[in-house]
Amino acid sequence: METLKVENLSKTFGGLKVLEGLCFTMEAGECVAIIGPNGAGKTTLLNLLSGELQATGGRIYLFGQEVSRMSVHHRVRLGLGHSFQLNSLFSGFTVLENVLLALKSPQSHYFQMLRPMTTYDLLFAKAEELLKSLSLWEEEKVLVENLSYGKQRQLEIALGLALEPRLLLLDEPSAGLSSVESAELANMLYKLTENTSIVFCAHDMELVSRLAHRVIVLYYGRIIAEGGPREIQNNPKVKEIYLGVEKM
Amino acid sequence: MRRRLLTNLAPYIISGLILFVLPLVLPSYVQSMFAKFLIFGIFAMSLGLLYGFVGLYSLGHAAFFGAGGYTTGILACHYGIENLWVATPIVVLVTLLISAIFGFIALRASGVYFLLLTLALGQLIFTVAWKWVTMTGGDNGLSGIPRPELGFPWPAWDPAYYYYFVLVFFLACFFLLRQIVNSSFGYTLRGIRLNENRMRHLGYPVWGYKYIAFIIAGLFAGISGMLFAYFNGIVVPSHAGITTSVLVFLMVVIGGPGTLFGPVIGAGVIVFLQFFISLYTPEHWPLVLGCVFVAAVMYARGGLSTWLLELQKRMKRRYGNIES
Repeated sequence: METLKVENLSKTFGGLKVLEGLCFTMEAGECVAIIGPNGAGKTTLLNLLSGELQATGGRIYLFGQEVSRMSVHHRVRLGLGHSFQLNSLFSGFTVLENVLLALKSPQSHYFQMLRPMTTYDLLFAKAEELLKSLSLWEEEKVLVENLSYGKQRQLEIALGLALEPRLLLLDEPSAGLSSVESAELANMLYKLTENTSIVFCAHDMELVSRLAHRVIVLYYGRIIAEGGPREIQNNPKVKEIYLGVEKM
Repeated sequence: MRRRLLTNLAPYIISGLILFVLPLVLPSYVQSMFAKFLIFGIFAMSLGLLYGFVGLYSLGHAAFFGAGGYTTGILACHYGIENLWVATPIVVLVTLLISAIFGFIALRASGVYFLLLTLALGQLIFTVAWKWVTMTGGDNGLSGIPRPELGFPWPAWDPAYYYYFVLVFFLACFFLLRQIVNSSFGYTLRGIRLNENRMRHLGYPVWGYKYIAFIIAGLFAGISGMLFAYFNGIVVPSHAGITTSVLVFLMVVIGGPGTLFGPVIGAGVIVFLQFFISLYTPEHWPLVLGCVFVAAVMYARGGLSTWLLELQKRMKRRYGNIES
């Protein structure tokens, strides 16, 4: 079954066409990278997929179900996770509290009003496991605003992972990370691709070639090329508009 | 070890002394002020749930307070229902219905538009109370509301006994609200206050959570309105109007949102300040209130509760170091 199917998707802001007639599909377990120069519409595409923005035209199917008009939280319930380009954490909460909020979401104790939060032992155990797997356990009691940017970035991704999504959207996951941190992130995401489909947009071509099974190149809101990482790197049109060509 | 234990227990011991013992030794008019303080304490906690835990700034919260008061008054004065066990569920139902309707409308908007909608909806109840003269007594209010029948022997309805009657309600409301804010639901509300958009992306139906919190807050405000109607023996339109909404808003701001005891402290400050200022210069009370508010915003941004929490932390640190 197709994990994601995008049909003729377009988005305009006033008179500005940001995306136009996008069509692509992705299978379960696939990892698709969206690349393109700044302003190509990468983040807008992810926002349309997550439901943050409503498309002007076209349809989106998630796990075989049309979700074009579906709200964000309903899409998450279907198995969609989203990690943002700019960290969107809960300042004022500790690392552990941030993860607990994410882990709690798919649980059945949705509107539990009388049972104290501290009594959910299973939830705390899961949080510990997740934080340990991301080497964040030592910072469990640290307020997120006091974390280094790299750690905040890891936590941002941890929130997406905590939902155990079937499809994870990652917006510039390695943005602002050092080369070591970026390599660690790539390892972590690589392991993840065994069970989860991933759509990510990035400028980091090392990350793209390491993770992506397929690359979609956006340019002024249109798909100009699609294929494997190596194929894309050798595509003359892509080279010209995105990767750059050597001038004689 | 004993000092550390004392430091931990200090807030409870002080609260216990203030709430249980102190009113016994005070004159009856101060006992009445204590009852009023607890009633407004419930009212302020209910707004504190919205403001401090969800981040919703309402300027129409007095509508539920007024609705609770008028329902009590109408039941007692027009239908002769004075029994507490009959009146309370009806008050709860009425305020639940009103807050469900108002919440459904107001939560369509956010930020300043939510504030304006709550203000407009609040004024709706005020206008009904003012204009529906046959039922509400109009501008003169609905007077002659008797103290409730409890269905079991109650020694007397003098200020001291009424105070303890209110104290039972206050403690019940406090512990219920405490359970709510410390529960999974309350934790989610705090998440919404901190980052509403992220909560949506974590799969939370944010609107639903805010709506339920709005209804709960309305319900507790309604109960405090009922107690205030029994306390005063009269309800007037201003109880449901903007002045009362602003007053309770100030209580939350001065006491400190984000905790339950903060709004209670705020209620205490306002009620007792109003009482003492009114003894000497009643016409200048709004001026003093304004100055207190400005001072609170300038010098105690997080409210008085932040100072108290900081003080407790310092004491714990100090005595913790001595022990270790």
